[in-house]
Amino acid sequence: MNARRAGRLLVYLAACAQADERTRLDIAHACSYGLDEKELQKICAALIQTAAKGVYKNGTLSAEEAAEAYLARLEGMGWYAVTLADDDYPEALRAIPDAPCALFCAGRRELLARRKFCIVGSRLLPSWAQATGKAIAEELTARFAVVTGIAEGGDRAVIDGALSSGELICVLPCGPDVDYPAAHASLKKAIAKRGLLISEYPLGMRAQKFSFHARNRILAGLSEGVLVLAAGEKSGTLITADRALAYGREVFALPHNAGAAQGVGCNALIQQGAFLCTDAGDIFSAFGMQRPARAAAQLTEGEARMLAILREAGEEHAAALAAKAGIPVWEAQAALSSLEMKGLAARAGGNRFAAVGSSE
Amino acid sequence: MIAKIVCYALQGLEGVPVEVETDAAKGIPGYEMVGLPDAAVKESKERVRSAIKNSGLLFPLGKITVNFAPADIKKEGAAFDLAVAVSLLKASEQLVGARTDDTVFLGELALDGSVRPIAGLLPILISAKGHGYTRFVVPAGNAKEAAYLGGADIFPVRSLAETVAFLTGREDISPVPAQNFVPRLHAAQGADLKYVKGQPVARRALEIAVAGGHNLLLVGPPGTGKTMLARCLPTVMPDLSFSEALEITKIHSVAGTLGEEGIVSDRPFRTPHHTATTVAMCGGGNRIVRPGEISLAHGGVLFLDELPEYKRSTLEALRQPLEDGKITVSRAGGTFTFPARFMLCASMNPCPCGNYGAADKVCTCSPAEIRRYRRKISGPLLDRIDLQVEVDNVPYEALTSDEKQESSAEVRERVNVARSIQNVRFEGSGMRTNAEMGERELSAYCRLSAEGEKILKEAFERMKLSARARSRILKVSRTIADLAASEEIAPAHVYEAVSYRLGDSLE
Repeated sequence: MNARRAGRLLVYLAACAQADERTRLDIAHACSYGLDEKELQKICAALIQTAAKGVYKNGTLSAEEAAEAYLARLEGMGWYAVTLADDDYPEALRAIPDAPCALFCAGRRELLARRKFCIVGSRLLPSWAQATGKAIAEELTARFAVVTGIAEGGDRAVIDGALSSGELICVLPCGPDVDYPAAHASLKKAIAKRGLLISEYPLGMRAQKFSFHARNRILAGLSEGVLVLAAGEKSGTLITADRALAYGREVFALPHNAGAAQGVGCNALIQQGAFLCTDAGDIFSAFGMQRPARAAAQLTEGEARMLAILREAGEEHAAALAAKAGIPVWEAQAALSSLEMKGLAARAGGNRFAAVGSSE
Repeated sequence: MIAKIVCYALQGLEGVPVEVETDAAKGIPGYEMVGLPDAAVKESKERVRSAIKNSGLLFPLGKITVNFAPADIKKEGAAFDLAVAVSLLKASEQLVGARTDDTVFLGELALDGSVRPIAGLLPILISAKGHGYTRFVVPAGNAKEAAYLGGADIFPVRSLAETVAFLTGREDISPVPAQNFVPRLHAAQGADLKYVKGQPVARRALEIAVAGGHNLLLVGPPGTGKTMLARCLPTVMPDLSFSEALEITKIHSVAGTLGEEGIVSDRPFRTPHHTATTVAMCGGGNRIVRPGEISLAHGGVLFLDELPEYKRSTLEALRQPLEDGKITVSRAGGTFTFPARFMLCASMNPCPCGNYGAADKVCTCSPAEIRRYRRKISGPLLDRIDLQVEVDNVPYEALTSDEKQESSAEVRERVNVARSIQNVRFEGSGMRTNAEMGERELSAYCRLSAEGEKILKEAFERMKLSARARSRILKVSRTIADLAASEEIAPAHVYEAVSYRLGDSLE
């Protein structure tokens, strides 16, 4: 069986979502470690059996022809398939025990070969965590392709940070042609254009509870490390962190206030030994990398003082910050607005502001 | 004999002269009205007949024809009663030698001959004075309103009999003394900023909003005092000038909502309920076109509590008047323009449960729910709201503290200073506030330094602002600079203005 043939069969399996786990594992094994004659026969038998079901269903098409037709359909929508039989199937993902047999992709294929780092966060997260996540994602693109989901909240912050550089991989919990969440339909198009979209599911499959879990294993599997921006006690992002641990990846977490419901999961991760991460520098140093030089933000004297006060307070009401600085509220508002625009502060709701990133 | 008496009909806010011609001829007794009178005017037939009889006067026998000229305007309401009665009496030669040619008669008659007050008297008087009439006979019940006209002889009458006695010289009525306008002190209303605890950010936004005539959106959890803050808005607004008061009074007079006082002497504060229809909001009606809430709020505040609860179409209808300061209502009966230069103040919760962004409470809404809630307010409407601020959840200690808060009077002083700067700036251009500036004025008065321009550009790109939002930020910066008595718009002013564009950073 040549690689092309194996690839087509894998596409067929992924498309039919009919491969039982045993067959998939066998193929993965065969593809990963070279083809053993006996093994191959076994696999081919299994494949023929599965394909036969398809023949009955589809009438006259063979598994291979069905796969070709399917690929053509995908291509019409701007998607292509990367299978275990392809050379550029990400090595890190290939190494996990339940690697998907084919990845349906749209966008820059070369991103698959990059070093990858995953950032995830729950859908509801404090605005400072959102701003921090965005800043970290933006900075990481200098060395990594940033991997994340496509949900609102945490994922969205990462997308906002990394999309402009194009070093962004989003893994869908649904079929390639399904817009989930519906509100991100146009965002999805933008990602396909500038970055890379990945789905392991056949066309038309809606996001389901299990597909989020399964997607999270790809997030962790693709990446060298995972950063959790925010996670409640039972957040789905913890599954990603859990998979990352199982696959032997580094886990990072943003520290949250004690008692903040949206940060319980992160703090628990740190307790269990995850890296405490406050900015991109922590990630670079954990991988032994030099942090890329950044242009220092130009601050006026008043803004610098406000930033110092804000960093000391962590999160505080604008009026309280103004009182500490000894200036009227509106001057504090102006300074904070400037810091917010420079990505050094974030609105925390109710006229409260929080510092973003850590001091040098 | 034919008698001609002048009366006035209302078209929108303008009075139009109507001649009531009566011919009392010999013939088979009859009583006919022509000249496009509506039902209420036609009914005046019977009112006038009874009123004349019950005033001890003689209702002429014979063929009577009453004509309203010009015939092409639809005449509505009961304001013609007095004029019809007087012209009937004159035609039947019961008012020999009376001076009626240069006098305008206005009033509704009761069956016993007494004269009832009418709606829209002041706009009629103002129009009539413009047309050269200086002698009026008006219902005594409208005397207070009429007193503000000045420069005319206005005779208040209580009954038809009194009118006849006056016209025939048997009785003397002293004209209404001209009344000087005194703006009412707002403290009487009970709302005052000194009762608002905390809220330094919202207070500042309120001050800027009033100083520059900007629109304001208050976002905050339920029960944090958004309504109370809004009620303080009129208390910091500058006193009404007489011309403004007249303009507002005209609208309220036409709408029939004028109080005892006869003139609107403090700034209107209108709070239409969120079930209000588009017509109730913008004006209209079947035959009589009445001003809507936005016109009644002219010169004052239109407060929309729980903005997302209003009907979408109603809110969208506000867009054009928010730009133009007037509303044009077109109906089959004609097209009417009402002034509607109001300050829009709206309030809303940050999310359906109200706790989004609160420091100590947990929001139970999903992002999709929050988005759906906010989507109820369209981008174009949000664009037109220059200042969008969060209202704090005030802690218990602050609520019960005795710390003295700045009073409305103190804030109003600063507002007046900023307004006087604007008055000088816009002298002779018909504008009053920064918010009314057009593109030309923007480029003339809102020059930014290179640094200020850079900030605005950054904000424009980061917050994905529209061109309109950009010019609104410029206008707010101008007002902030005015409050600081600064000729230049400093970078800090731009930053502060940007910090009030909460809505753009939310979505």
